[in-house]
Amino acid sequence: MGRPSEAAGMEALHQLKSTEPPQWLAPSASLSESARAASQHLFASLRPHVRKSPFDELLVDNFDAEQIWQQIDLLTQPLVRSIRRRVKHWEKNPAEIENLLPEVADGGKKVAQGKKMEEIDDDDDDDGGDMDMDDDDDDDDEEMDVDNDGEQDGGKDEGDESEEEEEEKSGGIEDKFLKIKELQEHLEDEEARHYGLDAKNKKSKKKSGSKKLEDEDDDSEEGEEDKEEDDDEDEEVDLFAGGDDEDEEDEMGNARYEDFFGKKKGGSEPKPRFKDELGEDSSSGEEEKEEELSSDDDDDEEEDDDENVNKKPKVLSTHEKEVQKIKSEIEKMEKANLDPKTWTMQGEVTAANRPKNSALEVDLDFEHNVRPVPVITEEVTQSLEEIIKKRIIEGQFDDIKRAPGLPSKAPRELKPVDENKSNKGLAEVYEEEFVQQTDPAAAPLSFSDEQKKEASTLFKKLCLKLDALSHFHFAPKPIIEDMSIQSNVPALAMEEIAPVAVSDAAMLAPEEVFSGKGNVKAEVELTQTERKRRRAKKKRKFKAVETKKMASKKAREDELRKQKEGTLLVVQVTHLCCQINVMLNQKL
Amino acid sequence: MEIDGVAPPVPEKPLFEPLKAHEMSDGKVQFRKVSVPPHRYTPLKKAWMEIYSPVYEQMKVDIRMNLKARKVELKTRGDTPDISNLQKCADFVHAFMMGFDVIDAVALLRMDELYVDSFEIKDVKTLKGEHKSRAIGRLSGKGGKTKFSIENATKTRIVLADEKIHILGSFRNIKIARDALCSLILGAPPGKVNSKLRQVTARSAELF
Repeated sequence: MGRPSEAAGMEALHQLKSTEPPQWLAPSASLSESARAASQHLFASLRPHVRKSPFDELLVDNFDAEQIWQQIDLLTQPLVRSIRRRVKHWEKNPAEIENLLPEVADGGKKVAQGKKMEEIDDDDDDDGGDMDMDDDDDDDDEEMDVDNDGEQDGGKDEGDESEEEEEEKSGGIEDKFLKIKELQEHLEDEEARHYGLDAKNKKSKKKSGSKKLEDEDDDSEEGEEDKEEDDDEDEEVDLFAGGDDEDEEDEMGNARYEDFFGKKKGGSEPKPRFKDELGEDSSSGEEEKEEELSSDDDDDEEEDDDENVNKKPKVLSTHEKEVQKIKSEIEKMEKANLDPKTWTMQGEVTAANRPKNSALEVDLDFEHNVRPVPVITEEVTQSLEEIIKKRIIEGQFDDIKRAPGLPSKAPRELKPVDENKSNKGLAEVYEEEFVQQTDPAAAPLSFSDEQKKEASTLFKKLCLKLDALSHFHFAPKPIIEDMSIQSNVPALAMEEIAPVAVSDAAMLAPEEVFSGKGNVKAEVELTQTERKRRRAKKKRKFKAVETKKMASKKAREDELRKQKEGTLLVVQVTHLCCQINVMLNQKL
Repeated sequence: MEIDGVAPPVPEKPLFEPLKAHEMSDGKVQFRKVSVPPHRYTPLKKAWMEIYSPVYEQMKVDIRMNLKARKVELKTRGDTPDISNLQKCADFVHAFMMGFDVIDAVALLRMDELYVDSFEIKDVKTLKGEHKSRAIGRLSGKGGKTKFSIENATKTRIVLADEKIHILGSFRNIKIARDALCSLILGAPPGKVNSKLRQVTARSAELF
């Protein structure tokens, strides 16, 4: 969109100025249009003075207020800082303002107002202002003229407060050299604030007698340290105007911590001492502060704290700072160790030993001996049902089986009581009993005993047969008294399956084993002829065995050959038949 | 009196044979008479020879039946070896009269320690009319099986004669049988009695 001409912009400004305040309450398109035009115009007018702005012109089409404002802000932030700095400088040197802009007579009020507004924001921008100094130095000359123009147009109704502040900056344009000096002074001010007397001394020395004008204005409005510094310096000048510089210097140089704060006991004590020592050190800024600020309690405290902080460590190196930090931590931890532990760190704590309702704040960890109630979800029930179905299909139920009773002593034989009339007479019964008692072997066997015997013999036979089936080694025949067959098998084999004692004695005695007859001679005893005879016998035997083997082998081979031939023949025959068949088929 | 190294030889101890029945009673004969109840008259006639034989031959006691008096008379002979034989025979005959079988009663002759114990139902419990009848029935059981079971278990012989009960056997066994019978009279079921009997007999068998 094309940028509107200057005239259009001024017109828009006029229009805005002329609208009644109530009209602003309701949103109107025309007003917004004119406002945008006006802001664009102003932006354009300012743009040349700023070196590093990203926008060449203010973009207002379809941008909402916040975005427009941000653009303006980007442009004007550095400007504002530089302007403030300027104004401050002019505060200190009001004479320069007159030199710069003789025109600004009616703008004096505005200047004053601007100062107020500026100084309220001073603290924040001081540090930033230092950094922007170099950037803004070049632009300052141009800025001043344009700003004044803008200011005269009176665009205060717009949303641009920053512009307002810029407009009100007034004062002479200084050289770089002077600017740097100002910077230096500013830095010294800061140092003095942080580090103590000496800087202030220097400051006071330089600025003696130059700030009477500003003091009165500043007194009522400022509550900040900068102001205080200025005041102090002014007071110094006021009270001791008349060339006490040298004296001040000497006394400041001789001043020690103890002079102000006693023997390093704390911040509270120095206060009375301050008053006591008023007479002694005439040049101490703190005393003067004391006097001046005794009415202002807040300021007092600030100052004292400041001084205490400044006095004790002086200038600490980084290492010393770290060491201090560590020391403080160590102290903390030692203190914690010495103190009695908190109730959470003690072991078992009853309600009486801890503060009321303290258990509510702490996360307590319990051991729940109760198993949490199972949440029955669909999945759980489904899984259970599946198990049930499976079990039913398999037929595997968890029926309770009767536990086998402990093996008590064997149940005694209970003779079944006969309910029939006994055949024996009483005498016979007693006779049997008597006989049994006296001679158990000779007792005639009862009917049941005979049956038992028969049964036991049958069972033994059966067991023998079964054992023979399952054992690898020979199981001995049952002992039948009439005949016993002994074979020369190692005794181990004839005994039980798990013999208690292992014995490899043979069942038969050597003479039983020996199967020979006649006079048996050992090798050494043989004569030559006998040896020969033996050898010949052996050979004969061997030959006989060999021939037997050969014969059997031959027979087998013949058989195999015959079989083969047979099969071959069969194969040939079948082949021929097939051929014939094929031929027949073909012919057919 | 001088004590010599060797005392004079003492005469040998005399050996006396036991006195015979005759000698004991100085040659007098002893009698026993056992009355025969009417219901045992015919069985006596039937079993007379079985009674007579052991008595006369083994026990060497004379025995005769006095038909007019309806008594069995027993008399010692000259060669009756022991005076107790007469008593034994008398007991034997008496047992038969009570109702025992001859073969059972013969045990009395052969063994010394057998006794006969008799008691009545009313000694145990006063029962009247039907109750008495039922008690008797309980004692014998169906087909006599309870009685037989007690007999077999305790090695005794029992005779149930209406109200009277006779038990023949050794002292211990009589006691067991008597306890069983009394419990039956008092109303115990036969099964219970049987089980008790079994326990008791097993225990008693273990003792020996």
